Amino acid sequence: MSGAGNRDNVFPTRMTLALEKGKLKGAEQGYSLLKRKSEALTKRFRDITKRINDAKRKMGRVLQTAAFSLAEVSYAVGGNIGYQVQESVSGKARFKVKARQENVSGVYLPQFETEIDESINDFKMAGLGRGGQQVQRAREVYTKAVETLVDLASLQTAFVILDEVIKVTNRRVNAIEHVIIPRTENTIAYINSELDEVDREEFYRLKKVQEKKQQAIVVEEAEDAARKAKIKEAKRKRKEAKKQAAKKAAEEKAAKLRAAEKKIAEQKAAEKKIAQQKAAEKKAAEAESCRAKRC
Amino acid sequence: MEGLYFNIEGGYLEGVIRGYRNGLLTSSQYVNLTQCDNLEDLKLQLSATEYGNFLSDVSGKLSTSVLEQKLSEDLVKQFRYLRAQASEPLSKLMDYITYGYMIDNVALMITGTIHERDRSEILERCHPLGWFDTLPTLSVATDIESLYETVLVDTPLAPYFHNCFSVDDLDDTNIEIIRNTLYKAYLEDFYEFSKTLSSPSNEVMERLLSFEADKRAINICVNSLDTDLTVEDKLKMLPGLGKLSAPAFQHDLAHADDLEQIKMTVTSILEYRDFFDESNGKTLEDRFYEYEMSLCKNAFTQQFTYSTVWAFVRSKEQEIRNITWIAECIAQSQKDRINNYIAVY
Amino acid sequence: MSASSNAAKHRTLMAAIGDEDTVTGILLAGIGQVTSEPGKERNFYVASENTKMEELERKFDEFINRDDVAILLINQFLADKIRVLIDTYTKPFPAILEIPSKDHPYDPEKDSILRRLRRLMGE
Repeated sequence: MSGAGNRDNVFPTRMTLALEKGKLKGAEQGYSLLKRKSEALTKRFRDITKRINDAKRKMGRVLQTAAFSLAEVSYAVGGNIGYQVQESVSGKARFKVKARQENVSGVYLPQFETEIDESINDFKMAGLGRGGQQVQRAREVYTKAVETLVDLASLQTAFVILDEVIKVTNRRVNAIEHVIIPRTENTIAYINSELDEVDREEFYRLKKVQEKKQQAIVVEEAEDAARKAKIKEAKRKRKEAKKQAAKKAAEEKAAKLRAAEKKIAEQKAAEKKIAQQKAAEKKAAEAESCRAKRC
Repeated sequence: MEGLYFNIEGGYLEGVIRGYRNGLLTSSQYVNLTQCDNLEDLKLQLSATEYGNFLSDVSGKLSTSVLEQKLSEDLVKQFRYLRAQASEPLSKLMDYITYGYMIDNVALMITGTIHERDRSEILERCHPLGWFDTLPTLSVATDIESLYETVLVDTPLAPYFHNCFSVDDLDDTNIEIIRNTLYKAYLEDFYEFSKTLSSPSNEVMERLLSFEADKRAINICVNSLDTDLTVEDKLKMLPGLGKLSAPAFQHDLAHADDLEQIKMTVTSILEYRDFFDESNGKTLEDRFYEYEMSLCKNAFTQQFTYSTVWAFVRSKEQEIRNITWIAECIAQSQKDRINNYIAVY
Repeated sequence: MSASSNAAKHRTLMAAIGDEDTVTGILLAGIGQVTSEPGKERNFYVASENTKMEELERKFDEFINRDDVAILLINQFLADKIRVLIDTYTKPFPAILEIPSKDHPYDPEKDSILRRLRRLMGE
């Protein structure tokens, strides 16, 4: 019965789990109720079986007595009245039964009751010439006997019905106990295990993701560092370039400067030459002025 | 005086009947029978009596019904033998005896015909002593009218019908009323006939028939107490012979509303005063049988009478009832009632 | 269950299959009903040791299938002849009662219901 394979074919979700749990609870409740019903019926059943046994044996005796009353009739009439009795039957029955219901734990058991219509007597005339009294007595005895038969029939019908109902109930009890409950439990276990599995997977997945992330971070960091290094390098290069450029520029500048200075110096030298020339001209002019003045 | 010539015609038969009578079971044989524990024992006991091995060809389990049937066959055999030997007026008397059974058979036929039963089944149930020649032609009758016209008309019972019923009556009258009315006519006719017999046959027969009539009268009245039979119906069935046949008695009987009134009427007859005494657990029917048997026993005390046939048939019938009763008691283990039989011989 | 119990309401008759004496006695009690309705003419049947099995089976079928019969009485010795039918009969209505006859006393060992009962009791 048990076995992991035996379970409802469901989708393992939390929703189904809740449903299955409800189902299990219901099944357990149903089981206990049915079990109690079956017990109540069985009790009744045992009671009936005991009575049926006694009643059947009693019936044997009652009918024997009744048969004997018929022997008395034969003795008194001096012959068999069977045929006459059979042919005298006409119309409705005098002796009828009525079924009353008795409720035992939701099972309706019929209880036959005798209904005697005293206005009907097909055998009033039987044995008019002789044996009439014996016939009437036999009639009474047989009425009593048939009444016990009716009681017995009630018991027997109750027996048959109860037997059937108990069988059905027990079948259901057993079905619940041995099939439905284990199956639901299996299903729940399955869902639980499935859910756990999912959880674990999820956890692992998360872990993996984290790991990946970490890696990614490391890589990124490395890249970052590389980039940074690059950038630094670039910067440095740039700087260097700049420096060089600056140096160059400076050199150029310096060169320029020097050129300028040279120029300037040249200029200055030119100027000085000019000035010296001028000064020489002045002195020559002054000297001339002075000469011219002296003159 | 009649006795002088009686033996010419009846001597042999009377001898045979007395022989049969001696074959009837005695009290001590009955006691032996009642000691039996089962029917096989009973069979053994019976084989030691006049019956001999009459049950030897019964195969299978012996039942009371088989026993009764065999006993009746024995009676029929004896009766037929006597009838074959008899000459007038004994043959006539024996015919009269059979009429009683015929009435039962006819009642059976009418019942069967009304309910359209199987003919062979009806014939099977007919009493062999009440057989008449037209009985097998019964199969042609499909309704009461044709039954009357083809079968009953030819029977010795036809006059009884003729006096009591029209064909239309047969259809809706209760069969028991028909039976008892016929029986009344039959008893009256028989009574008239027995008057013509030589003495002392006529005296004995009259006594026996009177009692038979009274017995029926009492029975009819007692058994009709709870029924809706009218006084006229009852009066129609009360035989016009016997100690209770006086109009005053008949009036009282027919008008009685309860058992007490019948009792008062009946017990006013000296011989019948014990009939309603229910001490010893004896029923009315038991009393009747007892009284009848004592009459039959007494009938044998007379010599040169034809009435011994009647007495014998009745005694034998009682014996059959007794044996059946004992067998029934044994078969059904009701031993406390087993001594209810009536043995007079 | 309620369907069958409703059906039981209309079942008021008893039926009998038995030997002459048994049927006579039960008829004296007044169970007999004779009608002209087809299939329901008589609710009793006289059988004997020699009655054919087919006939018994036919009557048995007729009675258990009548809708107005609550209880069917049958002589045990006749029931023995159609034991298979009775053993396999499981309907609650009509109830089948095996009764003794004059010549055949009641034998609890043969009774279908009692045998079933003993089986249940584990004997």
